Amino acid sequence: MGSSTKRKKEKKQDFQKPKLKVGKARPKPENYTDTSFKSKAIVLNQQSLQLTAPSSNSQFTHHLSLLSSKSDTQRRDSLAHLTTSITSRPVNSPLPQPVSVMLPSLLPLLLDASNNVRTQLLKLLRTLPHSDVEDHVLQLLPYVRAGMTHLAPDIRVSAVEILSWLVESAGEQVVSCAGGWIKTLNCFLSVLGWHTDESAKWSSTRASFGKSGSKGKPMVKVLGALAEFLDAGVGEPGASAGVNGDQNGNDASASSASPFPLSETGHHMISASAAPYAYLNLFGQPRDEEGEMYETREDRYRVFATRFLPAVDRGLKSAREEGGELGRAASGVTKVLKGALSYGPGP
Amino acid sequence: MVKRKLGALEKVEADLPNLQHKIRRDPKSYIEDFRAQHYQYESHREIFMAAPTSATDTGIISLRDLIDFISHVADCYPEILKDFPQQLIDMLMEHHLVLESELREKLVGSLVLLKKKELVDSATLLHTLFPILISTPSKTLRALLFQKILSELRTANSKSTNHKLNRTMQTVLFNLVTSDRTSSKALWAIKLTRELWKRQIWTDAKAVEVMKEASLSTNEKVIVGGVRFFLGGDKEREEMEDESSDEEIDVGRIRHQLGINKKTKKKARTAHKAMLAHKKKEKKKNQPHPLNFSALHLLHDPQGFAETLFSKHLQSNKSKLNLEQKLLVLQLVSRLVGLHKLHIMSLYSYFQKFLTPRQPSVTSFLASLAQASHDLVPPDVLEPLIQKIANEFVSEASAGEVATAGLNAIREICVRQPLAMNETLLQDLVMYKKSKDKGVMMASKGLLSLFRDVGASMLKKRDRGKEASMGLRSGEKEERRFGQQETGGIEGLELLEQWKEEERRRKRQEKGLASDAEDDEEEDEEDNWDAWNVEDDDDSDVDGEWINVQSDDEIEISDSEDEGKDRPSKKAKQEEKAKAEAEAEEPKKADEVSKETAFSKLATTRILTPADLAKLAELRAQASVDAALSGSKRRPGPTASSRHTDDPLTAEEIEGLAALSAAKLTREEKIAHAKEGKLDRAEHKSKEAKRRERKQEQGKSTTNKEKARKKNFLMTLGKARSKNKRSLVETRAVLKAHHDRKKRGGKRGNVGN
Repeated sequence: MGSSTKRKKEKKQDFQKPKLKVGKARPKPENYTDTSFKSKAIVLNQQSLQLTAPSSNSQFTHHLSLLSSKSDTQRRDSLAHLTTSITSRPVNSPLPQPVSVMLPSLLPLLLDASNNVRTQLLKLLRTLPHSDVEDHVLQLLPYVRAGMTHLAPDIRVSAVEILSWLVESAGEQVVSCAGGWIKTLNCFLSVLGWHTDESAKWSSTRASFGKSGSKGKPMVKVLGALAEFLDAGVGEPGASAGVNGDQNGNDASASSASPFPLSETGHHMISASAAPYAYLNLFGQPRDEEGEMYETREDRYRVFATRFLPAVDRGLKSAREEGGELGRAASGVTKVLKGALSYGPGP
Repeated sequence: MVKRKLGALEKVEADLPNLQHKIRRDPKSYIEDFRAQHYQYESHREIFMAAPTSATDTGIISLRDLIDFISHVADCYPEILKDFPQQLIDMLMEHHLVLESELREKLVGSLVLLKKKELVDSATLLHTLFPILISTPSKTLRALLFQKILSELRTANSKSTNHKLNRTMQTVLFNLVTSDRTSSKALWAIKLTRELWKRQIWTDAKAVEVMKEASLSTNEKVIVGGVRFFLGGDKEREEMEDESSDEEIDVGRIRHQLGINKKTKKKARTAHKAMLAHKKKEKKKNQPHPLNFSALHLLHDPQGFAETLFSKHLQSNKSKLNLEQKLLVLQLVSRLVGLHKLHIMSLYSYFQKFLTPRQPSVTSFLASLAQASHDLVPPDVLEPLIQKIANEFVSEASAGEVATAGLNAIREICVRQPLAMNETLLQDLVMYKKSKDKGVMMASKGLLSLFRDVGASMLKKRDRGKEASMGLRSGEKEERRFGQQETGGIEGLELLEQWKEEERRRKRQEKGLASDAEDDEEEDEEDNWDAWNVEDDDDSDVDGEWINVQSDDEIEISDSEDEGKDRPSKKAKQEEKAKAEAEAEEPKKADEVSKETAFSKLATTRILTPADLAKLAELRAQASVDAALSGSKRRPGPTASSRHTDDPLTAEEIEGLAALSAAKLTREEKIAHAKEGKLDRAEHKSKEAKRRERKQEQGKSTTNKEKARKKNFLMTLGKARSKNKRSLVETRAVLKAHHDRKKRGGKRGNVGN
């Protein structure tokens, strides 16, 4: 190689010095790249020119908007920030943003793909005051139900957790709002796989489609939530020491507390609830049987007894027979059910 | 959003397509899972219905996926999904304006899928999709909907015509067109009707009625759409038909490939499919051609339609059409007038002001005028127009193209109404046959030859020509009077007659040879008997020669037999049948009956069988081929015979040979002109290259020789080098081996031999 004169010449050319001439621009090297460009205006994006640090309120809104971020760590961190800012606010001061503003961005996170986000969301929801949650049950429930029937088992479990929180904080609203009773019960049955005769025939509960999630013992949690839900819906009014008890108690105290000539004053007063005439359904879509509101225990009991009782009974029986933790949870549900049955359709 | 991390097993199991697949295989076992997904869908729907605008796709599963999933397995659980189609319809109907585009398209697709699974009937589907098609502002959705509606109508009509559906759809379209005449929404009706017309799915008067209403609308686009349909819809249909019959399947080749190629299930399936398609096509070929009336013939009230078109779009001052659109309307009106022989007197005076050479696209006006004239137009209406054309266009001073166009237009008018010409003008125009300009000369000669046919007496004596003057002298050629109609006949009937005669003669000859030996005296009686016999036979025989017609002069000329000429005519025979056999000599008389009456008798006394009609068509085709082959001694102009009455007269025909009058072409133009016809000529290549290309196209391999030629040089180098270094012994061994191999027939040898 390199023996021919041609090669030699080529080689020589590579190392030749460029000739510099006076009064002329320096010759550009061979590999020179022109990087200059022309532009009418140069816009710098996302430049913050504020001197003062953002207020906590504006930070709150900012983090609220970050909830729809693409990255799940970002969403989780924002949720954590929101949680701390809600918990660390001075006692009896209002929320930085009303719940009605926060909910639209919080709700889709119920079905979020990331486990961490959903657990963080539950933490945030727990910090919200009960009275504020009560008015938004109607918005929350469809998402919860969607989560309960989700294909991914993890989401199902966290949706059940959220439902139990919801029952705990606003049980009466949950069971009496439009679609809250039948549809939610349907979801429960489908999560538990108690719907059909076929599923009852097998001795063990049928393995559902899809693998069980990373969190173990989903059935136990679901049964616990079911117990709470049934208690709130058809539980014995007097015996239930749950959340709905105080509400009934309130009514009772209101009627009894009024002095003699006044009776049933509560019924004639302006209702304290946010949407007192919701049952008229003046502005919504017409509802079918499943989407109807069942406001009294009597109604709920009737529906439950006709539509769900056999399936639940059958399911509980097989769950009890399995024993262990599952059996214990099932017997918890049975207890609630027994109470409800003994109370019957109502006084 | 970043996808959730899934465990390997979960990835396999927990997705909707997988569940869908499992449900399809075993719907009963997975009902619980399906129910869960249905609840999921219900909740998502609830969320969506609460705020349709702000619906966002969060989480792993969106409403779109759920709808897709449910509609795919809908046929497995009809009981659970009773309301599902209605829910989709509601969602689409109410929110199609605000829906996210992907979800919208999914809804449409799912509805079509449900139709395919017969959970929705096609009327409901069309009633859902069509209103959206009209009202939506989204272009992509419109395209999708149009395509879906079209394919839905096609599938509904694929097995047999679905009259009920067609009628409802046509009514919907009709109402759309007539309800609001100013809106351009009717364009969808036009588009749909035209497409279905093209595919021969709608071929009835109702579809034409829709288009008629469209062309009477007040919106320009709609008018033009309707008018264009009448002008070009049928041609489009014919082209479509030709196109579809073009794709031939080479069955032999498929069979051959099936034998050679690797046998897989897929290949067998495709071959089977191709065979089926081929069979279907063959079947179709044998079916009788469906009667397709052109749209112009299916119009109910052509006179009223043409009048309204003319008065609304052309005559009135309010119409906003531009020249091009007006020309289209004018073309339609004039075609209607010419085709149905309508009378719109004001139409001709309307033409008056456009007949100047300066008028843009005047040739179209001239063509329309010619189209609008027919033999029932009063000549005195047309005469001033012809005069004006002659004055404006045809003069020594005017350019060659202009004079050619004028002369052509005059000829076209006179073809249809010869009485519109007067003697002085004609003689004047005929003088242009001496013109130096070739185009003018040809046009003038065309006029001359036309009038030699239709009105030779108007020509000067020296222009009449031999035939015409002879005809005039013998009184054979008579000028047609106004309104006089030609007696109609069946085209090619005389050919059929002739053929039958020949056939009969041939048969007779076969028979006659045998009968000749017996007796010659009772020839006539024998004939009669034969005739009876033949007739008897033919009553049972469908395509036999059961028409026995009197012989004519030609038969006497023929040499071989004498029996033929005495055949009794059909009519005569029937008379005989009525009378007695004794009057067998009667047919002699019938011989004298003129040819024409005999022909008419053939049609009037006999019912032509399908076989006869088929033969007639064949003979007609044969005759036309013969005429074309025998060269053009006297070529009748293309306008006279080759054009069907339905075909339009175009501006190109009026311009005619104008190209000849133009200046000489440059070389480039000549080359371009020569190349024009040969568009698909491949580039020049050697035979070998072409062969190779062909082989490659057919997916065949190269030969060993070619492979060797293409082999990389470096790969051959080693062998070449070693070849040089071989010893003599080695060389001998190699050569010997080669020789042996060749003898055996290759490495493996021809084992079979």
